[in-house]
Amino acid sequence: MSNKYIGQSVKRVEDKRFITGKGRYTDDIKLLGMTHASFVRSPYAHARVTSIDISAAESMPGVVAIFTGDDIKETGIVGVPTGWQVNFKNGDTMKEPPHPLLIATGSTAKHIGDPVAVVIAETYAQAVDAAEAVEVDWEDLEAVTDPFKATQEGATLVHDDSPGNLAFDWELGNPLDEVNAAIDASAHVTTLEFVNQRMVPNAIEPRSYIGHYDEVSDKYTLYTSTQNPHLIRLLMCAFVLGLPEHKVRVLGPDVGGGFGSKIFHYTEEALVTWASQQTKRPIKWTETRSEAFMLDAHGRDHVTKAEMGFDGEGNVKALRIKTYANLGAYLSTFGPAVPTYLHGTLLQGLYTTPKIHIDLCGVFTHTVAVDAYRGAGRPEATYLLERLMDLAALEMGKDPVELRKQNFIPAFDGVEQPGYQTQVALQYDSGNYHGVVDKAMKMLDYKKFREMQQEAAQNGKLLGVGFSTYIEACGIAPSAVVGSLGARAGLYESAQVRVQPTGKVSVYSGSHSHGQGHETTFAQIVADKFGIPMEDVDIVHGDSDAVAFGMGTYGSRSLAVGGSAIMKSIDKVLEKGAKIAAHKLECAADDLEFAEGKWTVKGTDKHIGFGDVALTAYVPHVYPEGLEPGLDFASFYDPANFTYPFGCHIAVVEVDKETGKVKLQRFIAVDDVGNVINPMIVDGQIHGGLAQGIGQALLEGAIYDDYGQLVNGSYMDYAMPRADDLPMFELDRQETPCPHNPLGVKGAGEAGTIGSTPAVVNAVIDALWSGGHKVKDIAMPLTGERVWRAMQSS
Amino acid sequence: MDLAGSHILNTTPEVVWAMLMDTDILARIVPGITTLEKTAENEYKAVAQVKMGPVNGSFSGGLTMQDIREGEGYTLNVQQNSKIGNANATVTIDLKPVENNQTELTFDGEAKLSGLLARTGNRVMSGVANSLTKQFFENFEEEIEGKGGKG
Amino acid sequence: MSKITLKVNQKSHSHDVEPRTLLAHYLREQLSLTGTHIGCDTSSCGSCTVHMDGMAVKSCTILAVQADGSEITTIEGLAPNGQLHAVQQGFKECHGLQCGFCTTGMIMAAADLLERNPDPSEEDIRHGLEGNFCRCTGYHNIVRSVQWAAKSMSELVN
Repeated sequence: MSNKYIGQSVKRVEDKRFITGKGRYTDDIKLLGMTHASFVRSPYAHARVTSIDISAAESMPGVVAIFTGDDIKETGIVGVPTGWQVNFKNGDTMKEPPHPLLIATGSTAKHIGDPVAVVIAETYAQAVDAAEAVEVDWEDLEAVTDPFKATQEGATLVHDDSPGNLAFDWELGNPLDEVNAAIDASAHVTTLEFVNQRMVPNAIEPRSYIGHYDEVSDKYTLYTSTQNPHLIRLLMCAFVLGLPEHKVRVLGPDVGGGFGSKIFHYTEEALVTWASQQTKRPIKWTETRSEAFMLDAHGRDHVTKAEMGFDGEGNVKALRIKTYANLGAYLSTFGPAVPTYLHGTLLQGLYTTPKIHIDLCGVFTHTVAVDAYRGAGRPEATYLLERLMDLAALEMGKDPVELRKQNFIPAFDGVEQPGYQTQVALQYDSGNYHGVVDKAMKMLDYKKFREMQQEAAQNGKLLGVGFSTYIEACGIAPSAVVGSLGARAGLYESAQVRVQPTGKVSVYSGSHSHGQGHETTFAQIVADKFGIPMEDVDIVHGDSDAVAFGMGTYGSRSLAVGGSAIMKSIDKVLEKGAKIAAHKLECAADDLEFAEGKWTVKGTDKHIGFGDVALTAYVPHVYPEGLEPGLDFASFYDPANFTYPFGCHIAVVEVDKETGKVKLQRFIAVDDVGNVINPMIVDGQIHGGLAQGIGQALLEGAIYDDYGQLVNGSYMDYAMPRADDLPMFELDRQETPCPHNPLGVKGAGEAGTIGSTPAVVNAVIDALWSGGHKVKDIAMPLTGERVWRAMQSS
Repeated sequence: MDLAGSHILNTTPEVVWAMLMDTDILARIVPGITTLEKTAENEYKAVAQVKMGPVNGSFSGGLTMQDIREGEGYTLNVQQNSKIGNANATVTIDLKPVENNQTELTFDGEAKLSGLLARTGNRVMSGVANSLTKQFFENFEEEIEGKGGKG
Repeated sequence: MSKITLKVNQKSHSHDVEPRTLLAHYLREQLSLTGTHIGCDTSSCGSCTVHMDGMAVKSCTILAVQADGSEITTIEGLAPNGQLHAVQQGFKECHGLQCGFCTTGMIMAAADLLERNPDPSEEDIRHGLEGNFCRCTGYHNIVRSVQWAAKSMSELVN
């Protein structure tokens, strides 16, 4: 079958509406009689509500209703749940304290912004004015924000029934005594203690919800800026509000970026839905950027000690890790999974390390929840491994690239050669790790760079190069596997392919784009498989009434899992189509071949077109006996394994000797994300991922003070990369097909973020060493001040 | 946020002490204060209006004096609430006579901020605090000069 | 309430507005021009960029009453109906957008940049757009989009 679209950089179908201002995000939607919500929030990280007085606010202009935590408590609504259970090492159940929709009198707020009351008014301004008039008396209590300090003796407790502030402790890998012995027997041990700092996802569209209860149909509609409408519906109906699922429609209109932060079920989604039933009016809430900083789940935030043992030849023999992972005050939807099964399982990296052990504490603190942020656990694993590799090379006087290559797992395709079984549970699907490194090194021209670096050093300039190689696990995930690891959901995907009587095709996907371009990529696949123009294919997503079910878009899963579900339905359509075609052509279905949009009797020119078969399916006058009319198939695809993209990233930096300011001069990324459907879109995904990874290395990081106040909670204070912070990226690709899904794709959404951060930090360290500053580590983000201080102290 | 500094005032510790204990004078010299009422022995209710860069709001709350050392100093607890966030400060004030009948006023303490004040104001808060302190001492000096003229 | 009269996308409008109403809110709520997006509350993100009397402005920094008597162009009015401005076309050609949220402000800022500097270097473009956040693209394809537009516009002129 010839491909007209697959593999081509087809321009995006969705662009037209976005570039003309016709995109429709949740906040753009106005419903008849719509009211607006504003929340009364805790100014303290930890404080007891001693009283709530709404009397002044109630009489303010435009106020429709005010609900407090006391009102919610009376209804018996407990709060929003987490979707993953990670139990203690000794088998004790994970601590899972309630995450209430609003804080009631006598209870405590547990992070800044924790809501106490919601005001609903005719206009947004009136809601804000009245919310300011709600009087709350607080008893300010001691707060703890650092995950290590929170576990220490005497630390204040976030939840009374979680001693040591532990939600769980967890381990993975080889038995600890074996790893200890391997470390003890090592000729060289490289040790790194570091913080992988807390990141704020910062999708540019703030979260926005509209709850609408319709009395006539007794149905609820929730418009939400979410990455997974069906999951929100399931959680809200089954676990939070107890609503009948068939009476609830969740719509995800255009979504302005997510990066993980819009996966999770937030309290406000349930609250506007519930309150709309109380007031019998639609209620809109759109967060301010200030609220987004305080409330959208953050990412990373690990405090880690890592040790890597080598033999005399530089072969990695052991890896031992102790990590304190901050989970925030409440367990978010995937919160417990991120530092454990999305992080610990990737600590094999690309290396043949025979003994690995990670010991991890999941810790409550008086901060907003930490959950998946682009990469989710894999960036933390990659940072740990790739910083250790570079530091080990420095300490042992070896070349950082050669040291990596020496320890690489040899190439395997997962078909002729088996997958690679790691020490940390996963089995890699296919890989050729030397390939991406060699390609990237050629783009860099390593030898020439080292000459330039020496020359620069003689002229008093600090140039540095940093390397990073990574592997990640995406396309989550086999339901039985994740179920055994504590997931409370299956992680399959659904897709329905409906061929209309006129041969036009509607595809209903449970994946939900928030910028990835599904309407284009999915249509490319369907058009090629049916041999029809892309214009004849429409991709419907983000509507729980239209789409049977869906697990949504995150973990770089949409093409590998959602695309595979579409492929299953395509196959079913073609199989039934062949039966209809055979009947019309008076031959056996086996005698037919399908290509270029038509079924042809092999070895003849007798054929029937896709459109004719579609019409016949719906006008079945001349039709196979016993065959149902219609040409419409739904499928669920549950992947056989994770997919494992990998790659090599190289950063070139110049460090200003006087100020410590880092200028990123070049960034080279060679990624292997399996087969590629739309190279333009894949490159775009990599670009965006790189910017976020580089942002973590050089600029970003949420800062809570000792009282739990987020002191850089605005765009004026939190440094996100701007256009003039970044260079043009230099990209190339290798394509090692995934052996276990029909498209051979792996996933591209997070690769850029996962690989880039350590490359930049390694480059800065390399630059400093070139100038004789023997600095081993600098805490991220590597601001001018931090780099300057490191130079002064070396 | 740390609050610390010192200033030489051109009068004796006794006069400075008396002024620090006089609500009317304090209401005049503390920047932004619109009302200051005594509610109990060594306890006051205060309302202040502060307008400085991003810090723009009406604050109300209480002041309590503790650890009073007659003529030498005391510890001031301030709790001020506003819609843009709350401030909670504990500051120790010491008076020390220096030459030429002057007084060195030293203060040392810490302020704890919450809400918008902490989130978007922190970057400039120490600047705001410095400006307010400078203004306070300028007002103090003017008040002393006024007194000197009268006395 | 204050009465304002202004021209938006060539069309005259008169409305009573609260003195505190921002231009961005006025455009979105009163005129339903929802292509102007609001991404922050500190005038830092640039998603709300429109043209006011021919200059790019962040419409969240301007009160509706300040716009009284002015001529505003929003993304919906950047090109005549059914057509695309070269910058809009450039963003489509070069994949200069993903989620689309910052895009409208970015396009308005870029159109203004090219108005003032028809032949910008890469550095000029990056510097010129540093008031606009994008979290999706890493700016790589945005720079290429603006370069594409600059080239297309100069070919049109020559």
